[in-house]
Amino acid sequence: MAEQALSGVRVIEYGEMVAAPYATKLLADLGADVIKVEPLGGDPARRHGPFPGGKPDPDASGLFIYLNSNKRSITLDLHSARGQDVFAALVADADVLVHNAPPAQMAGLGIDYRALSQRNPRLVMTSVTPFGLTGPHCDYATTDLILWNAGGVAYLNGGGPGSGAMPPLKTFGEQAGFQGGVNAAIATLGALYAAARDQQGQHVVVSIQESIAAILELTFEYWPYMGLVASRLGVKPIQPLDFMECRDGWIFLCCIEEHQWRGFVELMGTPEWASMELFDNRLTRAQNWDALKLLLQDWVSQQSVTELYRAAQARRIPFAPVSTMGDLLHSEHLKTRGFFATVAQPGVGAVTLPGAPFHFSQTPWRLVTPAPRLGEHTTDVLTRQLGIAAAQVDDLRQRGVV
Amino acid sequence: MSTTAPLEGIRVADFTWVWAGPYCTLQLAHLGAEVIRVETATRICVTRLLPPWADGEFGFNRSGYFNQYNQGKRSLALDLKQPHAIDIAKELIAKCDIVCENFAAGVMDRMGLGYEVLRQIKSDIIMIALSGYGATGPESHYVSYGPAQVPLSGLSSVTGYRDWPPMHVGISYGDPNGGLHGAVAVLAALHHRARTGRGQYIDLSQQETTIAVLAEAVMEYTMNGAQPPRDGNRVPQMAPHGVFRCRGDERWVAIAVRHDDDWRRFADLTGLPALATDARFATLAARKQNEDALEAIVGTWTETRGPEEATRELQTAGIPAFTSMSNRDLSEDPHLNEAGFFVSLPHPEVGIRQHAGIPWRLSRTPTAVRRAAPCLGQDTDYVMGEILGYSADAIQRLKEENVLN
Repeated sequence: MAEQALSGVRVIEYGEMVAAPYATKLLADLGADVIKVEPLGGDPARRHGPFPGGKPDPDASGLFIYLNSNKRSITLDLHSARGQDVFAALVADADVLVHNAPPAQMAGLGIDYRALSQRNPRLVMTSVTPFGLTGPHCDYATTDLILWNAGGVAYLNGGGPGSGAMPPLKTFGEQAGFQGGVNAAIATLGALYAAARDQQGQHVVVSIQESIAAILELTFEYWPYMGLVASRLGVKPIQPLDFMECRDGWIFLCCIEEHQWRGFVELMGTPEWASMELFDNRLTRAQNWDALKLLLQDWVSQQSVTELYRAAQARRIPFAPVSTMGDLLHSEHLKTRGFFATVAQPGVGAVTLPGAPFHFSQTPWRLVTPAPRLGEHTTDVLTRQLGIAAAQVDDLRQRGVV
Repeated sequence: MSTTAPLEGIRVADFTWVWAGPYCTLQLAHLGAEVIRVETATRICVTRLLPPWADGEFGFNRSGYFNQYNQGKRSLALDLKQPHAIDIAKELIAKCDIVCENFAAGVMDRMGLGYEVLRQIKSDIIMIALSGYGATGPESHYVSYGPAQVPLSGLSSVTGYRDWPPMHVGISYGDPNGGLHGAVAVLAALHHRARTGRGQYIDLSQQETTIAVLAEAVMEYTMNGAQPPRDGNRVPQMAPHGVFRCRGDERWVAIAVRHDDDWRRFADLTGLPALATDARFATLAARKQNEDALEAIVGTWTETRGPEEATRELQTAGIPAFTSMSNRDLSEDPHLNEAGFFVSLPHPEVGIRQHAGIPWRLSRTPTAVRRAAPCLGQDTDYVMGEILGYSADAIQRLKEENVLN
């Protein structure tokens, strides 16, 4: 097998749900050896689902399987002194530690950069936190909904003309965790690159709120540049740029350049109304969108999503289908690219999940092992990696440390 | 403290525009790489043409959108359509470690700057192409714009209010998400190059990087054949779980009651007698079943206070809550300001403006935004003279010939 980009990098993860586990998943899929340290009750993602048949099973959660394949799992009670000793020994031998324990709990769990780096000066320790390690909000309780709002994306979404009563809207899933995770992977790899040069590690702190506030497109700058509060209720400055229902599903109409609109008009058979002054350019089309929308809807509702998508793209008009999950799984394009991956998950069977998010010409992304059962590799890691005698591991198990 | 940033000495030839590509190279600039934007006045980057403009006055160098996502970079004005421009681009690439582009698939090849050509110039070059659909596959030649990526990738089909049409997410999420994943890929390739001396080519599709963060929905379908419903701010695991109207104009607070412990504390705190004793709300299953009534009651509590006040009260009781932050809220947020998140560096045309900075801190190697975003062509003389060794006369001639333009 071809070697991978991060072969030889050893990572310890003490993570739960998405942020830290996604950061280390990105590294594991590129070849890093990731040991996931779970509390005795397991990562809460094991209880999150989706589950086959909707039946909760800690070894069958879709979210857990996706985030933790290619990793090994050990259990460890970090609230006990002996658990912390084992943890420190693991970290002493690693290049990277990634965790998302709350700041208020870190010291109590033995997750202390100063202490850990004394035994391992080249350690890169990454703390993925909701709001950083200091400041008035650092100990605030959060979930994805809270952070998506704290970062400012939710306020930009939802509502729309005529629907001001509807609240700011969360994006599907655990997007705050994913954004924290991918930012943590970048910062970790940067620090690791520095450590390769001079054998000195460091402490990396990632703020999820900041990770989200950094991706507000052009809206953040409206305040410092023009003194304007960006509003979700604003009418779009140009049109068509909207969702519309076809006879068999939804499509997204997207005419940003004038030639795209002209192409769309031709595609509709050049209806007479299209030459009205009201719809002369993208700005007037937006000003008169209420009227134009009805005219377009009339035509679009008779089309099929796929045919309209293909016909538009053939004219270089960037329409897109509103893909359902089924559409994605059946997409010839994604199939040709080999995007979806399948893992043989013990106790579950073949599970199909999103695969390589990037293609490397020399060092491939690879899905090698299924997600581990809770503590599946505890004995193996403790005896072989840390040299702890099997009898001692049994003792730790009886004392509830592992 | 070391004075050397992690990517000090790494140079990037940046052929990107709009948002996805620039966001990828922004990460590299944050880590200390020298990022040189190759751009031209004859086909100006879309974000230089978009608002907001400083004080409402239009100008290529006055866009907050551009100036936000190109901080710390340099700008070389080079019109790749002019004779000899491609040769200059190749000379630059020979002095670079990384080439980043997000044109439509095939454009770099047609310009004579495809990976096979570039690796002849610099054998260990790392090249990344970030496109909407990726470099291969039957739709690779399709046109992709940021706003269309969100529906294309499946995110819109599961985002929105119940019984409403599919919705956007507020930003062209596929762009920054693709750019961030691109930075992960480039950094991993740099590690590999440091170990082996070998470069490589990376093909990234924004569609795929967006599906990568939608795994729960994908697996609901692959494991159970079901498309997750659009359900607003609600989730199966928690209730109440939503964004509630507060006192004031368009002021909202997000509240997430994670479990029955949170629920008991919530009932105590709000003092709403109906909540503590009402069997309709005693368990998660009951609260989910009576969620409309529940949310209406929560709303009567939130609408009597501002979101900051509600947040303080709820967080003091250990219940997850936060103001639904506007851009102004973020800009003025004491926590973010205390953390030093914002960057205000002098810019020749717009002066000192506040920009979002780096969402992470490294304890030993400095990572700070080192300069404001460049004006168009601001570093042409530096790049041509100091990096490529052209004389001042030669540079002047190339400017007159509109090659450096």
